[in-house]
Amino acid sequence: MTTTTQPAVPVQSPFKRWLSGVANASDLGMLPVIAALIVIWIVFEVLNANFLTPRNLSNLAAQIVVTGTLALAEIYIILLGMIDLSIGWNSVLAASIFSLSTVFFHLPVVAGLVLGIVFATVVGFLQGMLVSRVGVPSFVVTLGGAMVAEGITLGILTPHGGSVPLSDSLTTAIGTLNLAPLWSWVLSIVLFGAYAAVTLNQIRQRTAGGHEGGYAAVMRLIGVGVLLFGAVFMLNAYRGVPFLLLIFLIALFASAFVTKSTQFGRHLYAVGGNAEAARRAGISVRGIQLAAFIIAGFLVGLAGYLDAARLGVASASVGNGDIMLNAVAAAVIGGTSLFGGRGSVYGALFGALVIESVSNGMNLLGAASSVRFIVEGGILLAAITVDTVLRLKRLRTGRA
Amino acid sequence: MSGSAATPLLTVRGLKKRFGAVTALRNVGFSVERGEVTALLGDNGAGKSTTIKAIAGVAPIDEGEILLEGRPVTIRHPSEANALGIQTVYQDLALCDNLGICANLYLGRELIAKPTPLGPRVLRDVEMEAEARRVLKTLRINLPALDTPVASLSGGQRQAVAIARAVLWNSKLVIMDEPTAALGVAQTAEVLRLVRDLAGQGYGVILITHNMQNVFQVADNIAVLRLGETVLEARKANLTPDQVVGAITGTLAIGAAA
Repeated sequence: MTTTTQPAVPVQSPFKRWLSGVANASDLGMLPVIAALIVIWIVFEVLNANFLTPRNLSNLAAQIVVTGTLALAEIYIILLGMIDLSIGWNSVLAASIFSLSTVFFHLPVVAGLVLGIVFATVVGFLQGMLVSRVGVPSFVVTLGGAMVAEGITLGILTPHGGSVPLSDSLTTAIGTLNLAPLWSWVLSIVLFGAYAAVTLNQIRQRTAGGHEGGYAAVMRLIGVGVLLFGAVFMLNAYRGVPFLLLIFLIALFASAFVTKSTQFGRHLYAVGGNAEAARRAGISVRGIQLAAFIIAGFLVGLAGYLDAARLGVASASVGNGDIMLNAVAAAVIGGTSLFGGRGSVYGALFGALVIESVSNGMNLLGAASSVRFIVEGGILLAAITVDTVLRLKRLRTGRA
Repeated sequence: MSGSAATPLLTVRGLKKRFGAVTALRNVGFSVERGEVTALLGDNGAGKSTTIKAIAGVAPIDEGEILLEGRPVTIRHPSEANALGIQTVYQDLALCDNLGICANLYLGRELIAKPTPLGPRVLRDVEMEAEARRVLKTLRINLPALDTPVASLSGGQRQAVAIARAVLWNSKLVIMDEPTAALGVAQTAEVLRLVRDLAGQGYGVILITHNMQNVFQVADNIAVLRLGETVLEARKANLTPDQVVGAITGTLAIGAAA
């Protein structure tokens, strides 16, 4: 309390202050991952001129959806300082239940979709009960959960040849169609307008209360605008915004609202940051943990459906560990700390972009999957090292 | 006594607490006046922590009486203590380092708006910040921007956040467990100033500390525990540091003064 920051800092332009804040921060938000993404894109574009084409970027936009949605689910768990290893097989199980119920039991498509997502949500609930009530480590609960889900998936899909093709019109539309360019522009302009209005209103209210820091918010607003309209421009140059991407973005923005603007989100971060402090503050730590697992289960079910829609098939062969590890990697690359309490749901978007850009670029180069694994693994190791180093830095300066 | 009413803010009498075969408290009693600092002293294991845990509702007592403003109360849970206006600042502060100052001040008691009856429970951050700024101002606490993560604050600033959180909720009695234990000289002075300010604004304060100098700087009233018993309770003005040390170590026999 001896610090009186405002007078202590010499008068600087807001830009310089913002820049020095960025340079000294131990939590850089999305900036490092965006920088890494730009480097990756430049490298692949240099190696293969087809990389930064509207067509390939549209493909990429659809490819990030499943990894991104699973990463989003994983972030809820990682924010608690826990891990969910079941998201891959649980999502495949949800897709299998959807496909069997609609193709073989002739349930209406929407009913089958609800059934699949509800099932995944219940799996999340059960795992959450074991973790929060009984206190079994999440690592073990979800490892077991993954094996059970794998077993059930194989059990119900094998009699049908291991995979079920999907041909209903809703699933086909979601998996293959795009929002027309005109509507993509309209939607993005409306969304950005709303975001700008909220941001500017916040800045106005805070400045009225003698609060500084509007500059960072303005910079963020500009950054979001550039990214959003750049992406829409690129996607419209091909066929518009894929429906798959739209669904993921809805889940992403909803999660951003839940984690940043609601009491539950505040408590989620509190439990991940210091569970004992949260408990003494009267927060139901168990309730928050359980809720996080339920939300993650819901998103995992959604991801399973989106994956099946994209591929046009529900198949047991897509669950093989890969998609789970990619999602965990995306979450960590996106800046979510495995130590809990730090990170942002937007990391799911950018982390998935990094992972899938590497995968997409390698495929364009005709690289063997062995090389792809090595590169992706290297990026994950770099990300987790940065996370750990930043945490040590905070610990050293007595800030963890 | 400088209390505004005849009855003290808090009186505890004959507190007893056993943990299995171990008797932690035999007979603890002391009073806290409004607008005064009562220092609770004692060697390690004397029962200070057990006593404040009893008053804070963390570990209820087996026997004895707790009178708040003259009325007997039972406190079996921290939330009951909070409802009675008793707040505790623990030694580890119980702050969430990843959250901002304001988020910590309102942790678990956020101001929310419900756009629909079913929710969502939306945080009213702007109102919280404005109210927090007002409270910090009355306590003369200067802090960086209120969305600054607590992780980047100094030890003294963190202590100030924890104390501000305790008084943000219409509390009457603030219990502080070793608030200066981990602080440097300047920060200790600042926290002691804050303790005095709290008393000056009419709060009752229980201060637990080992630092005799701190005690004689800020306390109005001194209670010494030894082996689970109150062995000394007196006004600071009537005591010397040597007498207090003697009471703590048991080398100086003083009858418990009221």
